[in-house]
Amino acid sequence: MPYSEHLNNLVALTKEARKLIIDMAASETGCHIGGSLSVIDLLIGVYSKYVKDENTTIVLSKGHTAAALYATLYLYDLIEDNPAESYGQKGSLFTGHPNHKLPHIPFSTGSLGHGIPYAAGWALGQKVKNQDGLGIVLGGDGELQEGLCWETAQIIQAKSISNFVYIVDCNGGQNDGYVSDISPIHNLRQRFESFGFQVEEIDGHNMEHILAALELSHEKPLALLATTIKGKGVEAIEGNPDAHYAKIPERVASKWKRSLV
Amino acid sequence: MSKSGRDSYRDELTKLAFSNEQIICIEADLGGKNHPFEQSHPDRFFNLGIAELASIDIAAGLAEAGFVPFFSSFASFAAVRAAESIKLAMGYMEKNIKIVAAYGGVSGGWFGTTHHCLEDIAIIQSFQNIRIACPHGELETRRVIREAAESKEPYYIRLARNAVYDSLDRAEESSCKDILIEGKVHTNAKLCLISIGEEATELCKTIVQENDSVVHAHLCYVDIISLKSYIGDLKQLSDTILVVEEHRATGSSASNLALLMPECKVYSHDCGEKWPMYGGTHKDVLDYLGFGLEPLQQQIHLIGGTDGF
Repeated sequence: MPYSEHLNNLVALTKEARKLIIDMAASETGCHIGGSLSVIDLLIGVYSKYVKDENTTIVLSKGHTAAALYATLYLYDLIEDNPAESYGQKGSLFTGHPNHKLPHIPFSTGSLGHGIPYAAGWALGQKVKNQDGLGIVLGGDGELQEGLCWETAQIIQAKSISNFVYIVDCNGGQNDGYVSDISPIHNLRQRFESFGFQVEEIDGHNMEHILAALELSHEKPLALLATTIKGKGVEAIEGNPDAHYAKIPERVASKWKRSLV
Repeated sequence: MSKSGRDSYRDELTKLAFSNEQIICIEADLGGKNHPFEQSHPDRFFNLGIAELASIDIAAGLAEAGFVPFFSSFASFAAVRAAESIKLAMGYMEKNIKIVAAYGGVSGGWFGTTHHCLEDIAIIQSFQNIRIACPHGELETRRVIREAAESKEPYYIRLARNAVYDSLDRAEESSCKDILIEGKVHTNAKLCLISIGEEATELCKTIVQENDSVVHAHLCYVDIISLKSYIGDLKQLSDTILVVEEHRATGSSASNLALLMPECKVYSHDCGEKWPMYGGTHKDVLDYLGFGLEPLQQQIHLIGGTDGF
């Protein structure tokens, strides 16, 4: 398939994923829509490259954006059921944070920070086995307030776990407001560089940038700092940290889905 | 000469790893110096430094990749500091991780309260799905390590510091999940002492030598599934039970057995409610907490009443 066609297909897939996320926000429980819409392009891009690589694990460490993960797994045919039909309901495994009882979710995340060491452990295992697999983790910028992220970065550097990719969804928001107001993460590039990472900054909504970043060869662990917009794609909530979690009426969901570019 | 539990662990794991290439040994800066595993299997030995939470989650990733990671630290830093990682990775997700926790109870003696752990069994027990073993002496420790390596279940293995104990006489074919019984009476005894852990087992060995009417049941595994499996045999031994355990009463094996055996009288000889704030030897700290031979003898006397045992 020509690259341009592949790219267009992925962009189309992100639109379908956004519709599913909006549907989950219109469920009885609502969902973490803001972060789900900021991370979805990154998830679709990562899965497009590694979906069939059994030696690579992909972990969504910012687990509150489970809606984005469920949408991605569904659109790549890795789970059978449409998550929007039972999200959050009694008896449904589509819980508000990723559930390892579902296929292709190796680790239940949601308590922030834990996905990073899990993926690092997987990557370390590939090294011991002399395999080429990667540990890929998608985390948040707010999540970096957790000490466990940096405890793990210390180990990644100390044990030269270079087959590790840490994608940070830098949407600038967290539950109670802006990251910059609550506990800013200063000098993020320099921080990762000081832990021995190769650092690249990308537009987290530009699929071409995302795919290119995933092709980068790296002898060190790779940190991709992805600038994103909370609520991306839905003009009414874009950039608003109050959109961290939302429960919306069906008519609003229909309007938002129609307005997606 | 016998080895301590910690040395037995290091030696046994190193031996096992020659035939089991899936075993990985993880330390957190509290046992890695001149570790025999590192000398024999350097590519599978990782001292991850002072990072207990991350170590457990990294072990989860290794387990998912097909390895059998053994993580060792002190009980306080494993069970308490890394509790959330254990809850999620080992309890909820049942990753095949083995924790070997030294310095259980107050075996750290003069190291002080930060290094003591009288709450670990309660914490781990509450997470469900995790096997809990408190082996006594070299032979039982080695056997528990072998059983853990063969099992796909997550394990929490509680050891003490560096003290050496004479191993109990456990039959070669016996599993550590079997009750080990000492004493002249083996059914309908007036009192059954249950020992859990090294010091407790030493106390019970002494009591049973002094008192013909008491039977001693040593339990190595104390997770809820194991405790349930013992009930029938324990009832045969006696309807009056005194559990001796270097732990708080809260969440102790005595409290669990009391719930599992409501028709029996279940008593506890434990470390009480005080904080172990003073220095001294392991025994000195236990004395301060009211855990030892003399208070145990007094408690047995009180339980026996005027008729005694």
